[in-house]
Amino acid sequence: MAAPLPFSESELCLLQVLLKHKVRFMVVGLSAATLQGAPVVTQDVDLWFEKLGELKISQALQEVGATYVPPSHLNPPMLAGAGAELFDIVICMDGLGAFADEFKNCVDIPLGRQKLKVLSLERILASNIAANRAKDKLTIPVLRDALAATQFVKRRTKKK
Amino acid sequence: MKNRVQPMDAAQAGRWARRLSARVSKVLAAYPEADRDNVRHTLILLEQPPLERLQRSLIRGRATAIFRK
Repeated sequence: MAAPLPFSESELCLLQVLLKHKVRFMVVGLSAATLQGAPVVTQDVDLWFEKLGELKISQALQEVGATYVPPSHLNPPMLAGAGAELFDIVICMDGLGAFADEFKNCVDIPLGRQKLKVLSLERILASNIAANRAKDKLTIPVLRDALAATQFVKRRTKKK
Repeated sequence: MKNRVQPMDAAQAGRWARRLSARVSKVLAAYPEADRDNVRHTLILLEQPPLERLQRSLIRGRATAIFRK
């Protein structure tokens, strides 16, 4: 029997319900890069919220049987429950500006009738360069090449 | 989340591969420092819907994690 797909209806519903409740968040990290065509692998989907812990996040999550777990002692904040296992909460992004500034430059990815805000490939690359961890060093050249290819495709599409 | 790419016959696949190769060369002409494989994989992924790209990445990411254990 085939393994269930990692990103299924429940994960999709979780994102959609956050959008429906007008929660301001964006997808960041390598999952954001892969949504834009970068050939990288990832194990989770990183979400960056403008106001973590605001009431509408909890209300939205409750609708799909998930919940927000605030940080405690050594544990970072997290989402738990239906469709939440795949998502990680990011509390700071190296090399980037304030949430509101980065939000303006996000790429919109259609998600049903709504639009999912995704950190642009340029800004993901900037963040990885700033973070410069061992795993970032491996992905920086791939992100750079993916950015070159996507910019080329965008320019050609505009010309047409 | 359906794959939007239609199945191809051998002739169509050949044409697609030649078109892809030409596009890779054009990107490399504009960005000579870029890696051919990275560019090729990106162009292939750009033919897929965004959620399909994410799905593929997560499947491979999980497989890699299992392999490491």
